[in-house]
Amino acid sequence: MSDAIRTESLTKYYGPVVAIESLNLTVNRGEVYGFLGPNGAGKTTTIRILLDLVHATKGRALVDGLDCRRDSVNVRARIGYLPAEMPLYREMSGAGYLDYLAALQREPIDQAWRQRLLSRFDVSDVDLRRRLDDLSHGMKRKFGIIQALMGRAPLLILDEPTSGLDPLMIEAFAETVQELKNEGRTTIFLSSHVLSEVERLCDRVGIIRRGALARQTSIADIRRETPRRVRVFFDGTPPPPPQQLAAALRKSDGRRWDLEWQGPLGDALEALRGLDVADIEIEPFKLDDYVLQVYADHPAAGRG
Amino acid sequence: MLWTLVRRSVARHRALVLGLAALLCGFQVLLVIVGTNYQREGLFGQVAALVPAFVQEALGGLMIASFAGTVALGFFHPVVMLALSCGGIYVASEPAGEVEHGLVDLIAARPVPRHLLMTRSLLVYAGITAAIVTLMFAANQTAVRLLAPAGVALLARSRLLWVAANLLAVVWCLGAAALAIAAGARRRAAAAGSMALVAVCLYLLHFAAAAWARLRPAARISPFHYYESSPTLLGLSLPVRNIVVLLIATAVLFVIAQVLYARRDL
Repeated sequence: MSDAIRTESLTKYYGPVVAIESLNLTVNRGEVYGFLGPNGAGKTTTIRILLDLVHATKGRALVDGLDCRRDSVNVRARIGYLPAEMPLYREMSGAGYLDYLAALQREPIDQAWRQRLLSRFDVSDVDLRRRLDDLSHGMKRKFGIIQALMGRAPLLILDEPTSGLDPLMIEAFAETVQELKNEGRTTIFLSSHVLSEVERLCDRVGIIRRGALARQTSIADIRRETPRRVRVFFDGTPPPPPQQLAAALRKSDGRRWDLEWQGPLGDALEALRGLDVADIEIEPFKLDDYVLQVYADHPAAGRG
Repeated sequence: MLWTLVRRSVARHRALVLGLAALLCGFQVLLVIVGTNYQREGLFGQVAALVPAFVQEALGGLMIASFAGTVALGFFHPVVMLALSCGGIYVASEPAGEVEHGLVDLIAARPVPRHLLMTRSLLVYAGITAAIVTLMFAANQTAVRLLAPAGVALLARSRLLWVAANLLAVVWCLGAAALAIAAGARRRAAAAGSMALVAVCLYLLHFAAAAWARLRPAARISPFHYYESSPTLLGLSLPVRNIVVLLIATAVLFVIAQVLYARRDL
């Protein structure tokens, strides 16, 4: 079975400016894929090539095995898209906006699903009747999310989906993604700078830097690879570290060890058995550390 | 899908269409009132003596010095021609506005073939301008029937219809040029503004060529060159050839617009 998204040596130049260069990425069907990168790294250009809004200079992009350029209309029939900047027909009502965009789909919209989305995102009948221009930024964003999701497309491309949403609505969005993920029929390609959200929702991430894919890996692998900071407190002077912990010891300070432990934490705790440990602090895993490290590997990241 | 796009576009231009239609239809009624007053007071002879020959030529020849010519003026007066052309140009420049405001991201991210957006714009500007010209004609005929002095010589309705059709062909041609510019533009004001300026320049070229023979070969590039209202109104010839030339130019410009839009980054 073909990948949900596959790019092969995808390259886009805007005149002399390189937006993306030889980008190769694969997104499996049914997964939630986080597409990360600093501003200007080429995320939006990649998304716009997938949608055939922008034409690649070289290489190609495939969605469900279909070429995004040559089979553009069929590709777009499979995609629900939420742009980062939400374009609106200001004079339209919310309901008119959703109806109009639904009429541009090939398949009729499942009204029960649309209604469920409206209630999940707390959009009332009054909100549906109001002019879009009169709505708050967050409410406009909700309409953006609903229009992307209402077609039940097998591939969702969501660019900064929770930007401007309140915590309750961020939770509603996360629940929706989780529900779609559990159903297993929808692939979600999510670009976001909110790394806690990516960490929570995504199975894998691709990190783009200077228009090229710097890393593509699973969250589980990142968890395994990323050293965890562990602080071990003693009532008195710390003893000499056991052999298993010696390599992880970064600092021994008065009554405390600072460890950077890579691997299963159980092994570290096992090594501490029998020592006069007063307390242990284990910093929770944060995707931020990993991503920032990838960004920092090339400080000049981001161009085009 | 096409009609969904057309309906949305018409709705977006509703205010412009209503305003322009009211203005141009009102002008038709005003001309009939003026013609009626001149006819009653016998002023048409003085008008003919006051207007220089080349201006008369540009405004329809000696026709303007009669009731029939005056009521037809609403179809070849420069302000009417340019107002209608600019209306068509503005509507036709919608694709550039959609790129400017990001609306194209919503539409073109759905299974909508790109060529439909251009076809939509063609249908909308052609339909809107045709509707306005039809309303102008209806306003003209209604005002003539209600206000014309008894016994005054009237134009044959078919001649005025041919003039209206010729005017519409000019407007469609300029609209297609605007569509071709909008197909590659990122700013609507730039696309519509530059084309409106070009339309005014093309009109001035045609106007100047009427008085200066050396300009006549260059005036062939002006769509207004293919709009000769006097012979049609006087019943000397029908503007079939002119209309065909303008429609061919419209079709060529539309194809260019489609090609440009298909190749561009949105």
